[in-house]
Amino acid sequence: MSDTIVEPFLKGSTGRNTRGILRLSILVLIAAAAIASRLFSVIRFESIIHEFDPWFNFRATKYLVQNGFYDFWDWFDDRTWHPLGRVTGGTLYPGLMVTSGIIYHALRALTIPVDIRNICVLLAPGFSGLTAYATYLFTNEMSTSPSAGLLAAAFMGIAPGYISRSVAGSYDNEAIAIFLLVFTFFLWIKALKVGSVMWGALCALFYGYMVSAWGGYVFITNLIPLHVFVLVCMGRFSPRLYVSYCTWYALGTLASMQIPFVGFLPIRSSEHMSALGVFGLLQLVGFVEFVRSGVPSKQFATLLRGFVLAVFAIAFGGLVLLTVSGVIAPWTGRFYSLWDTGYAKIHIPIIASVSEHQPTAWPAFFFDLNLLIWLFPAGVYLCFLKLADEQVFVVVYAILASYFSGVMVRLMLTLTPIVCVAAALVLSHLLDTYLSIKSPSAPTDADIDAASNAAPAPSKKAAKQDGLRAMREPLVGIYTTFSKTSVVSALTAYLLIFVLHCTWVTSNAYSSPSVVLASRMPDGSQHIIDDYREAYQWLRQNTKEDAKIMSWWDYGYQIGGMADRPTLVDNNTWNNTHIATVGKAMSSSEEVSYPIMRQHEVDYVLVVFGGLLGYSGDDINKFLWMVRIAEGIWPDEVKERDFFTERGEYRVDEGATETMKKSLMYKMSYYNYNALFPPGQCQDRVRGVKMPDQGPVLNTVEEAFTSENWIIRIYKVKDLDNVGRDHAAAASFERGNKKKKTTKRRGPKVLRVE
Amino acid sequence: MRPLAIASAVLSFAATALCVEQGNLTKPLTSRVILPSTFKPPQNFKNANLVHIVSLEKSHPKESINVVIENIATTPQDEYFIPFTARQMETIGGLEVKDRKDPEAGLFEVEAVDFDIESDTQFYRVRLPKPLAPKAQQTLGISYSYLSALHPLPATIAQQDKQYLVYTFSAYAPSAYVTSKQKTEVKFPSTVVPEYTIIPGAKGELESPQKQGSKFTYGSFGEVPAGAVEPVKVRYEFTKPLIHVSRLERDIEVSHWGGNVAFEDRYTMTNRAANLSKQFSRVEFASQQYYNPPSTAVKELKFPLKVGSLDPYFTDVIGNVSTSRFRSNKREANLEIKPRYPVFGGWNYPFRVGYSADLKKYLRKLSSGTGYVLNVPFLEGPKQPEGIEYEFIELRVILPEGAENVKYSTNVPLVTAGISLHQTFMDTQGRTTLTLTAINIVDEYRDRELIVTYDYPFFAILRKPLVIFVTFLGLFAAAWGIGSLDVSIRGKRS
Repeated sequence: MSDTIVEPFLKGSTGRNTRGILRLSILVLIAAAAIASRLFSVIRFESIIHEFDPWFNFRATKYLVQNGFYDFWDWFDDRTWHPLGRVTGGTLYPGLMVTSGIIYHALRALTIPVDIRNICVLLAPGFSGLTAYATYLFTNEMSTSPSAGLLAAAFMGIAPGYISRSVAGSYDNEAIAIFLLVFTFFLWIKALKVGSVMWGALCALFYGYMVSAWGGYVFITNLIPLHVFVLVCMGRFSPRLYVSYCTWYALGTLASMQIPFVGFLPIRSSEHMSALGVFGLLQLVGFVEFVRSGVPSKQFATLLRGFVLAVFAIAFGGLVLLTVSGVIAPWTGRFYSLWDTGYAKIHIPIIASVSEHQPTAWPAFFFDLNLLIWLFPAGVYLCFLKLADEQVFVVVYAILASYFSGVMVRLMLTLTPIVCVAAALVLSHLLDTYLSIKSPSAPTDADIDAASNAAPAPSKKAAKQDGLRAMREPLVGIYTTFSKTSVVSALTAYLLIFVLHCTWVTSNAYSSPSVVLASRMPDGSQHIIDDYREAYQWLRQNTKEDAKIMSWWDYGYQIGGMADRPTLVDNNTWNNTHIATVGKAMSSSEEVSYPIMRQHEVDYVLVVFGGLLGYSGDDINKFLWMVRIAEGIWPDEVKERDFFTERGEYRVDEGATETMKKSLMYKMSYYNYNALFPPGQCQDRVRGVKMPDQGPVLNTVEEAFTSENWIIRIYKVKDLDNVGRDHAAAASFERGNKKKKTTKRRGPKVLRVE
Repeated sequence: MRPLAIASAVLSFAATALCVEQGNLTKPLTSRVILPSTFKPPQNFKNANLVHIVSLEKSHPKESINVVIENIATTPQDEYFIPFTARQMETIGGLEVKDRKDPEAGLFEVEAVDFDIESDTQFYRVRLPKPLAPKAQQTLGISYSYLSALHPLPATIAQQDKQYLVYTFSAYAPSAYVTSKQKTEVKFPSTVVPEYTIIPGAKGELESPQKQGSKFTYGSFGEVPAGAVEPVKVRYEFTKPLIHVSRLERDIEVSHWGGNVAFEDRYTMTNRAANLSKQFSRVEFASQQYYNPPSTAVKELKFPLKVGSLDPYFTDVIGNVSTSRFRSNKREANLEIKPRYPVFGGWNYPFRVGYSADLKKYLRKLSSGTGYVLNVPFLEGPKQPEGIEYEFIELRVILPEGAENVKYSTNVPLVTAGISLHQTFMDTQGRTTLTLTAINIVDEYRDRELIVTYDYPFFAILRKPLVIFVTFLGLFAAAWGIGSLDVSIRGKRS
């Protein structure tokens, strides 16, 4: 009955329209699901900017909205990296801020009173909907199956690998960059297929947008040339390839050079050389093709050999020369760490100290991609079956992204789109096969007649079929309803489990703002631990407008964004020495750190201490990185070995080393902590150790504020003593100690040589 | 004496100039009566008997004067003047005069007199509803408060120390007329008053003050000439915060379509209590939490909202503050908020509180025509036992788009009032907005009403749906038009 009603809608041009509407509504639903699944954090907590980097982006966006584009472009920020400042306008990727600025002004033009914070919070989910659409377009270029695109869009919408960087509040460059990445690839494939300048130019336009949005644009800069190179090597050079690549490269490079932070890098740094090289190669190949069309083949072979050798020699010599002479920048450390995962740990502790730069653990692949990761190879295999130009792209992309995602956790993000595409290709292939395959009916004469139009030699085929016994019973194997239902239901079950997994991962792993911590009250209700904002708000309201805050660089952006106070170092780790200075101040004794703090005009020092609450991301646990980074600059003054006991343990209790106990960080973390406990029961709940009854003594700084759960402790740096004593003497006098007689401090006798 | 007067005059002038510059009106400007600079109040009255009550139980001193006035002129008189110093004029809040014998008759009309800006004595003029016949008597009840008039001494104390406040006032009530008999009662929050001025009794009278529990009485005094001052200084224990709101912006947004009225109050709050002599110690604070001793820190603010208030929020500049509780049932709707940190003396804590309510409870349609009456509380600040003072209040009533013929009435003394347009949520014309400002308001004004009447024609109700409909129609038409253009450079295909 229902078939007869539905049937007219699925035929002819009405059918096309119906399918179009269906597809559109499915895509809209996918986008809605993608957005909705990213809203866990808003519903559980509030509309708040997450973590660290987003706070800077948010602050920059506010600056852009308040001061206009040109001020933003020329922004010199004297409230970070005190006293150096930062040329913020020239050292950031402005795409994200400009995007939200445009949305903000558009909404304001419609007099919709939207807060810029809400735009920033919801930008990533919004763009994830667009990413799903872009993935749909991209996949449709790869496959003729109409379901592949929809499946890929759905996967992209909910894959945790992408959600991890795009939940509501995660206002980071990746929020829009993944959409741009996928869309640029789509435009590239389109341009390559059609060979049109227009698509190439569009691709360049979005590439330019991508460059303005994320440093990961280098991935595109290398992937597209690699694709072209592979195609040329496969002997698939064509005018289409030539036109699309040259259009993209010329326009895209120009576009990318408009971003001040990128500037002349595209023609100078090694990371961009492959694009330039392939551009040159295409010209040569094009020239050779041209010559080939005019020269007899025998002479051509000789000519070609000589030509290739000459070009190779010249190009290689030139590259070496330019690199040696320094015109082309040498490879950056972050780039080396892409090839050698141990490189950073040895040479650049500051890169290694960031958790997202660590190599990926194997379970992470399954955690972030679930069933997609085992469908992925099959998808790549399917691409090999039908190896057109665009399938080559998938293969190249898959290989490159697999490698990089194994090197750095963060790059899982670039792998996710291609995994979704490949998995969708496989699944759609399977579903198409098993859902719509028709059992071949018994070969009656009428059927043969009917089929005679389509098949060229029906009678022969029919005769053959008759000849084979197995073919006489066609209703076996995959044609049975049983096999169909079992395969399809298995796949459905997998997909449902995938949805469950995605929701679970999103809800549990990726939806915490990390500024706000959640815990449960005894009655099961949610209790929010809001120490970070408590302390930041205190700083913002009750300290001088230009009070300089010294803290470890992790909290720089948050202090800038929430407390609105100048900081010494922040998450834009552009000056390693400055960070090492802070590390030295934290890891040295008070006598050493006080002059450092005075020289940097530090008013307050902020430390994070999780001992009371059992919050493991605190500064004592990060302390070794501070020591290591400081040691990198002052190997004679700060030594990592001194912070380990004789037996090589990192201890904070009674058995801590003398250097540890004297370090400013240790003292500030545990100052007055023992007063909270009855004697002999002082406990550090993170490290699970009993602390000594006698707490550390602070002379040069005084406790200014401690948040409710002691997570944030703020110390005020004391001014110089009024009567010119050193701080230790002054503090000792305050405590009512007798002044030590100087004669007692004579020390061992030393032979005077003069 | 003279240089001092000049200095104070210069100071007050500078203060006025400063205020003008900030655009922050700390002097009442409306309904000023401008008189020649040589003005002296005519001696038409005599204060037959006067009781001056200084109440120091809250964080702002509240004074009330109950006085029996007598017309000593030959003609009926209706203008009674009350003098204040220039400094007092800047901080005086909520001056109200009513008939003690007939409190139902309502408040008398009170206006600040403007005659000589450099004079240290300024006047308020009270207009009696009925001119007082010669020799007749009337009992006036005058009440007012001073803002920022209490000062902690010592100015810095330790975290758990007790706080002492100093207040200086005159034992003789401010009067522009001869007073035959008067006394001043001072009510303290507790009996701990370590220091106070002693006035020796004249001619066998008892020396002042006489103490009676937490109440001190100065006087009674005999006949005192006009403008006489007898300075008295008291220092008393008051270990509570001095909550000072330097600016309160209150928005009341009426939505007929949503059937909703939304309130949002933005407070710029400071604690004027004694500052901490050392830095804040969390250990000490946490260990005292269980005993909950009196403290100068603001730990909690309680807002008893109107019953039926919904969806309250409490945020500050960096987002939601999770430490708030809302208890709502049929009898009460209490919002209890805790600032992120205890606000000690000298600390600031700006925040915003908002909630909404069903419009039906606040709005009534007039039986005739398209008129509406809105009745909302002028102020719904926190209700604290120690009281709150508001230096500047800006109240905006955002009426629906197209509302016209707006009238308002309130018995809160206002400084300015204006009507403007406010564009939001796809307004084409902008919503009619009534902006009222008031200064030096104390929390006794908490439940005063504001009544706004306006007309809201039928077309204005349908305005927005029509605009949106037409806009979308236009968009579709434009999309269709652009879509049917042929912009290809290939030329027409056959």
